[in-house]
Amino acid sequence: MRFAEFASRYLITIGGIGTILAVAMIFLFLVGVVVPLFRGASMDGAEEAEIERLASEPLHVAVDEYKSMAAILLRDGTVRVHRLDTGEELQRLQPFGGAGGGAGADERTLTALSVSPEGDDVAFGFSDGKLHLGRFGFTSAFPTDEETPDVARDLGPGAIAVHAGKIYVLTTEGKLRSQSFTLEIGAPIESQANAAIRLIAHTSDDATAVLAGFTDAGRIFYTKTRERTNLLTGKTTYASDDYELPLRSEDAAPAFLHLNGGGDSVFLAWANGKVVRYDVRDPSAPLVAEELDILADPAAELTVFEPMLGQATFIVGDSRGGLRAWFTARVDGAPTTDGVQLLLAHELATEGSAVTSIGASPRTRLIASGHADGGARLWHVTTNRLLATSPGPEGEPIEAIVLVAKEDGVVAATRVGLLHWAIDPRYPEASLAALFRPVWYEGFPAPTHTWQAESGTDEFEPKLGFLPLVFGTIKATFYSMLFGTPLALLAAVFTSEFLDRRLRIPIKSSIEMMASLPSVVLGFLAALVIAPFAQRIIPATLAVFVTLPFALLLGAYLWQLMPSNRAVRWAGWQRLVSIGVTLPIGVALALWVGPVMERLFFAGDMRLWLDGQIGTATGGWMLLLIPLSALLALGFGVRVLAPFVRRRSSAWTRSQCARYDLAKFLIGSLLTVAIALALSAGLDVAGFDPRGSVFDTYVQRNALIVGFVMGFAVIPIIYTLAEDALTSVPEHLRLASLGAGATPWQTAVRIIIPTAMSGLFSAVMIGLGRAVGETMIVLMATGNTPVMEWNVFNGFRTLSANIAVELPEAVQGSTHYRALFLAALVLFAMTFVLNTVAEIVRLRFRKRAYQL
Amino acid sequence: MTITPHGSLKKAPPLTIPPRQAARLPESDAAAGGLFEAIQRGEAFETVVHEATRGEKPVLEVSNFNLWYGEAQALHDISLVCPDGKVTALIGPSGCGKSTLLRCVNRMNDLIDSVRVSGDMTLNGESIYTAGVDVIELRKRIGMVFQKPNPFPMSIYENVVYSLRIDGERDRSVLDEVCEQSLRGAGLWDEAKDRLQSSALAMSGGQQQRLCIARAIAAEPDVLLLDEPCSALDPIATGRIEELIDELKGTYSILIVTHNMQQASRASDYTAFMYLGRLVEFGPTDEIFLQPRLKETEDYVTGRFG
Repeated sequence: MRFAEFASRYLITIGGIGTILAVAMIFLFLVGVVVPLFRGASMDGAEEAEIERLASEPLHVAVDEYKSMAAILLRDGTVRVHRLDTGEELQRLQPFGGAGGGAGADERTLTALSVSPEGDDVAFGFSDGKLHLGRFGFTSAFPTDEETPDVARDLGPGAIAVHAGKIYVLTTEGKLRSQSFTLEIGAPIESQANAAIRLIAHTSDDATAVLAGFTDAGRIFYTKTRERTNLLTGKTTYASDDYELPLRSEDAAPAFLHLNGGGDSVFLAWANGKVVRYDVRDPSAPLVAEELDILADPAAELTVFEPMLGQATFIVGDSRGGLRAWFTARVDGAPTTDGVQLLLAHELATEGSAVTSIGASPRTRLIASGHADGGARLWHVTTNRLLATSPGPEGEPIEAIVLVAKEDGVVAATRVGLLHWAIDPRYPEASLAALFRPVWYEGFPAPTHTWQAESGTDEFEPKLGFLPLVFGTIKATFYSMLFGTPLALLAAVFTSEFLDRRLRIPIKSSIEMMASLPSVVLGFLAALVIAPFAQRIIPATLAVFVTLPFALLLGAYLWQLMPSNRAVRWAGWQRLVSIGVTLPIGVALALWVGPVMERLFFAGDMRLWLDGQIGTATGGWMLLLIPLSALLALGFGVRVLAPFVRRRSSAWTRSQCARYDLAKFLIGSLLTVAIALALSAGLDVAGFDPRGSVFDTYVQRNALIVGFVMGFAVIPIIYTLAEDALTSVPEHLRLASLGAGATPWQTAVRIIIPTAMSGLFSAVMIGLGRAVGETMIVLMATGNTPVMEWNVFNGFRTLSANIAVELPEAVQGSTHYRALFLAALVLFAMTFVLNTVAEIVRLRFRKRAYQL
Repeated sequence: MTITPHGSLKKAPPLTIPPRQAARLPESDAAAGGLFEAIQRGEAFETVVHEATRGEKPVLEVSNFNLWYGEAQALHDISLVCPDGKVTALIGPSGCGKSTLLRCVNRMNDLIDSVRVSGDMTLNGESIYTAGVDVIELRKRIGMVFQKPNPFPMSIYENVVYSLRIDGERDRSVLDEVCEQSLRGAGLWDEAKDRLQSSALAMSGGQQQRLCIARAIAAEPDVLLLDEPCSALDPIATGRIEELIDELKGTYSILIVTHNMQQASRASDYTAFMYLGRLVEFGPTDEIFLQPRLKETEDYVTGRFG
């Protein structure tokens, strides 16, 4: 006995503490996954490796993905390959001829270079007007035994050996890896540019490449090239179409020339900040799309104009340290030929040390900027943030900078050295502002709240705006509570106060059984049965919300007409049956009223009306204003009519009163419709239209369906808790009220409900919590489109459904993965706040009601 | 006994046991082992009704009333009148059916599913139990005060005017007047007039019970039913309620259930003694307490039994 008591006490204690711990651990786990999201990027101090002074300006620096070597392409065509850690020169090439006399037999020199931000794809322009596509990068190989030089034979793990321009490293798996610089130069592409090429830009996909350039002859050429491989010889040739873009003669030579990713815009920029964009969708008839000054400061000089990943955003740097991101976006009423316009989307910096070079990440919207003071900075363009900054060695300005492909380092070249910063950007896409404030994504005309975490293409940028999801959650909750709460509460009042006690138990248990219906079944029903059905009869679906209450009330008033002693005798099952009969009548009424309504107010086709193509706004307002007008009509009845009638009705018989009530109800209904009609017509005339807000284009799986079905999911919970709250009101209060001659309805409304308010409130709040967290129904019955609009007829995406959809495909530890955990945390916070508020309010109610 | 300065309490009858002078009915005398045993065996017997009760104008008449809870009969053939403007007390040991009878008057027993009745009651000559009687209307004419004070969780004011509110009365002046009159009627006005808008639940038990009486009389009922109104109260509060009953007498006809013999003897004009669902003896209070016709009644009122 003693032992049992002891054991049970400890078991209970352990169980209780365990539960609290488990909840706390879940919370801590969520927080633990989410917190790294907000840790800032790190950037170590610069490590400098001295190299022999560069003979001319470095055009481009490339670093291999292991950060072992860097290749520098100089203006004079020399390529120098150095070890990154020691600065040891591995190779010096002169692939384009020139001083050393290399591969190129003729006496031409490299005059222009274009490097795609995606990787190693380059295009070269030469003094003889020839163009070459090529690759400027590195090759990793795992040499066989025979290929392995002696110096690399007995390498310890991590040790490095150098042989013939190659770096040998023993990987952690124990395999020997060699790294070497690779330069490929493709077959020449003939262009009609017979002068030296000063500027070149290129963009390519699988089979076609677009090249554009500016020649010494002052011409802008635009070449579309198709690659052809001869199947017999294996030789690649290019077939190209050449076009020329107009350049006004008074213009000086431009400093920058770029193509956008699709090759249908050419950007020309001058050092004074002037930019001209050509619309070359039809290259045979090129147009000047727009012309603008992109430098805010007239004294500044344009020093950098480079594309980012996807060649849609251009980073603009100036001599005053300004760093800005511009891209083209489709803007309504844009004064350009192609409807898109260059917009200043992100102002990263407005002043500081002159920007000399930028390196864009080939994977994300991260860039590194190199400055005249030798320092480097790390930026995330989309979220408009400076992630890290690091000063370089004094004196030498950075001339070329590159962000390593794995985003774990930044390498820059000065005339005398190679600088290397180890960086860890961590989760640059995520910050509180980026997640919860509007963010200006590439290609958008303005900052928006958008959620689109993944896509098929590499150039895609993840959009992690939480608000559409939070909004979707609120919308789902709102519409389902709008539907479920009144039904559940009224049902609870009915069963606890009006229903025969013998019927109460079976009815209550059967409603509680509804709660055990798996939500996946409800979601399935909603998506595959209810949604297609409702779509066919939209007007009737809407009308039923009016006709059903109308039929019920009409039934009640007709019941009153019955002689009193019959009414009293039939108060049992007969009344219940007659209530049951009014329901199908209400539905039938809706089926009849629906099409009539559609003809009268919605121009005969509700869906077209919703699309905004036909009809006036009156009908939509009517639907919205019916409840309000009913309240107005009721208010009129209570405030104006009731005192007037009261003075006369004392002498009336019961049946006279009943007839008066019925007449009052019918007139009130007509009055309701009349008020609604008048208000709607007024609003319509005033130019307001509910389409575009609450009503809009009909989508089959929409908030109405979810509201309806999720309403069913929350009804049992609210019902059963509310019923318990009502029945737990002390019986003596009920007796006192009934004993004073109150009807059960008056007793319920005046005594029982106010007394049980705290319980009813917490019932609703627990239902709300269920609706907020509900996943399966919203997952299946909405389109899961993360849009932010109140339109009843459109879908949405909730936090919970979003987690369910995306977590399986999110890479563990990625920004997306952690963002989903943040979604869980937000959900947790929402329910926590809801429950806390609910508890506070409930306690206040309780204080007021339960001093018994 | 409490005497308050303004109270005019009826003098309580001396509690000396009167000599047994009442004639006992021959048949009950004949029953072996006395009347109670006969009742326990379920034998029929005739209620002793004092002649003095017949002269009064009845406001409530109970005739041959039977009540069953399911199969168990709880009231047996009760016939009784409540004289107009008088206080009638129902006494008897626990479980004798006093409260059941009281609740039958305003048909509160309808709320219990298994209840079945036969016989009838009339209120001012109108039947209470025929089919087609509007129970709501009936209850408006009968005020009821329960054993435990049960004010509604709202303000004192709203408690008092509740019956008018449910009738849809909105005229503030009417409500104010009824509130004051009722509170004065219940002797609560002086205590409550400054806190009409504060919660009724903040009052003491005795005040709450008087508030319940005020609430009951606000509807100006034909009959006031008091179901052991003082059983949950302390002696001082009980005294106040008894004073109040005395003041209400004449204005209202009162039917009171009580366990307290002294209360019955002090406060009522007529007393009905019940036992196991049967009305044993019914007569003017003086007679019941001083000269009961039955020995069993005498045993009960003097505390020898029960």
